[in-house]
Amino acid sequence: MNKEIIRSSSRKGLLFGIVMIFLVLINFHIMAATMISKLLGTNVLRGAFPEVRYMIIFLVIYGLWVGWSAVSREGKTITKLLEGLTAGITTGIVVGLFGLILFFLLETQTDVRRYLTALSFPSINIFLLGLRGIGVPVLFGLFTLTGVAGGMLAVGLRSKFITELKQSVRTTVINLRQRITNSLPDKVNQYGKYGIYLILLIVLLLLPSRWGSYNNFVFGMVGLYVILGIGLNIMLGLSGQFMIGIAALFAMGAYSVALLNSPFPHGLMWGFWPSLAIGVVMAVIGGLLLGLPIMRLRGDYLGIVTLGFGEIIRILLNSDLLTDLTGGPRGIQNIQQPTFLGQPFTDVSYAYLIIVAMAVSIFLYYRLENSRTGRAWLSIKEDTLVARATGVDVQKYKLLALCVGAAFAGLAGGIFAARNQFTGPNDHTLMVSINVLSVVIVGGLNSIPGIILGSFALRGLPELLRELETYRLLVFGALLVFMMLVRPEGLWPSTRPDLEEKGSSGLKEDIDAHEEGRGNA
Amino acid sequence: MPEIIIEAVKVSKNFGGLIAVNEVDLQIVKGSIYSIIGPNGAGKTTLFNCISGFYTPESGDILYYGTPIQGMPTDFIASIGISRTYQNVRLFGNLTAMENILIGLHTKLKSNWMDALIHTPRFVREDKWSMEEAVRLLDFVGLKGYGDFLASNLPYGMQRRLEIARALANNPRLLLLDEPTAGMNIQETTDLTQFINRLREQLDITIILIEHDMKVVMGISDRISVLDYGIKIAEGTPKEIQANTRVIEAYLGPGGAALAEKYRNQRQKSHA
Repeated sequence: MNKEIIRSSSRKGLLFGIVMIFLVLINFHIMAATMISKLLGTNVLRGAFPEVRYMIIFLVIYGLWVGWSAVSREGKTITKLLEGLTAGITTGIVVGLFGLILFFLLETQTDVRRYLTALSFPSINIFLLGLRGIGVPVLFGLFTLTGVAGGMLAVGLRSKFITELKQSVRTTVINLRQRITNSLPDKVNQYGKYGIYLILLIVLLLLPSRWGSYNNFVFGMVGLYVILGIGLNIMLGLSGQFMIGIAALFAMGAYSVALLNSPFPHGLMWGFWPSLAIGVVMAVIGGLLLGLPIMRLRGDYLGIVTLGFGEIIRILLNSDLLTDLTGGPRGIQNIQQPTFLGQPFTDVSYAYLIIVAMAVSIFLYYRLENSRTGRAWLSIKEDTLVARATGVDVQKYKLLALCVGAAFAGLAGGIFAARNQFTGPNDHTLMVSINVLSVVIVGGLNSIPGIILGSFALRGLPELLRELETYRLLVFGALLVFMMLVRPEGLWPSTRPDLEEKGSSGLKEDIDAHEEGRGNA
Repeated sequence: MPEIIIEAVKVSKNFGGLIAVNEVDLQIVKGSIYSIIGPNGAGKTTLFNCISGFYTPESGDILYYGTPIQGMPTDFIASIGISRTYQNVRLFGNLTAMENILIGLHTKLKSNWMDALIHTPRFVREDKWSMEEAVRLLDFVGLKGYGDFLASNLPYGMQRRLEIARALANNPRLLLLDEPTAGMNIQETTDLTQFINRLREQLDITIILIEHDMKVVMGISDRISVLDYGIKIAEGTPKEIQANTRVIEAYLGPGGAALAEKYRNQRQKSHA
């Protein structure tokens, strides 16, 4: 029995050790230490290295995690500690051996950066905690100790006492909530939901003018991604069309606004508002033109074709061929800024514009989803053949979904171009499409709160934690894999509406009358 | 002369070299329950698929109230009042029972996406009506209180009935039921048989039934057709079909008729 425990926990330790090696090879340990340093209030300049103690903090956290995850849920305390110890020792050995190699590289001054770009001498030095050769046993000891500590932590936090405490806290909270709900008059409970919305609205109205233009920029981007996400969700989540080229539709909106409001290449100055409307219409036309030839495609094939469509649009915009028409690779600069009631736009006005656009998009989305149209879309996604046999004109509704989704993408694109005062082919790469796709899938298909959460997680956080920038693709990948494992339905999965009561309310009187009639007879 | 609601005239359908349905003729009287039986692979479901527009027959006509409908789009065929269920239940599993029925109501509603966006009076009126109608149908098939369950979470028998409710939402004049009692226990089968009878009486619907359960078929059918290898080998009332030699041989193999006769005689003797 002990053998089995030691084998499984040492296997876990091995895994963690190897992951650590990979993290060092891509220089992730430096970034993590930098972030910890910043969180604790010591700024690290770009390109500089953090202090050794922050590296120690990172390694300790990692070691605790090793111990924690090695401990199984069932069993005696002593076996649990043994598990933590074994995992810690194994990780220590693996990382120690790796440290030994690094130490030799450092001693012999062998530069391996030709092959492993991230492995520079300062980086190695910090990983060995600045202790050179002594760093190796120190690392081993550190992982052993933290492994045991992690195990103890797990034993402590999962102990009966803590579980009961959590349980009692939970019941108290539930009881309290129940009591508050009961003590309040019905009216308050009924409208309480709207109260939360009201608070949210006030916060949204106050924030943009308070928290500076950088945050306005970052959260404006989040808002635009919410709109794009809603657009994609209509195609992917409602009507089930696997669309990857949404950047092309985004580009249609952006270029419409840009071309109609800049001195070069056409010198047109139509103003922002009409051109935004034209941008939306252009995106719809784009969706229609894309939709017509691909109506018969499904699944992966549809994905490939729409991906191609996105790239075609970007390459066209980038080509010399259309330079006179679209500004070519240099893009379109100096986009004229909109005015509202005679007032010129600032970053705060853009924040408000995006909030309004987002609110309108969400409102329209909900109206569409809970209608005959929305249900027809859902039926197509669920089972196209049966939807058709139920009387849904599948082609028409698929095309409609593409067009409506495109309208949202065009709206986001138009605001995006005007806000940046510039747009070029590089704003509309495949990465944009994939980002939107990730936002919708990570957040949760068909779930507006999910899409908002996904936008914050995938667009807001990386912008705020600039250090992650280099590792964004890594984090993206890791997050997607993690999501698939832990929450395959997204951060905030969608729920279906309760409709039976809605239909019953009208009938109730009939039934009551009927019963009464029977009683009389 | 009784009115013919649907008529198949020499309908054939091939898949490559295989002739799934071979020059089948059917005439179905309005308001009747008509069963199609036959061994597995006889082409019963293929015939259904031809009627409901999933397949276009290679030759022959399908006449609905005298008008040819073969090769018409499936959604058009649904909109003129032909609904169907499927051999293995095909509900919209991730949607609720209510939503399934509301999708079934699709052809009965007119409001489009513009109406939905601005909530026009037409939308409001239709929304209210459709909700009530869906609840009424839920009630009719005995699923009251289950409306907000995901369709895939319902027990099997309820899924079958929900599928029928979705088909009924279309307000059909012709209902095609493909093995409605497959996988049901005796009690559920009895309930469903009564339910089908009720459908005809209360809603005045013509029903075509594919069924393997002979008790059900013989109990409720007005007329029966037997298909074997895509060919119609017999047609008639339940009594006639039971006595038909070709039918028995199709099920039991050559010589089966004699065997069945022997078995029947033995049973009669032992009873006597």
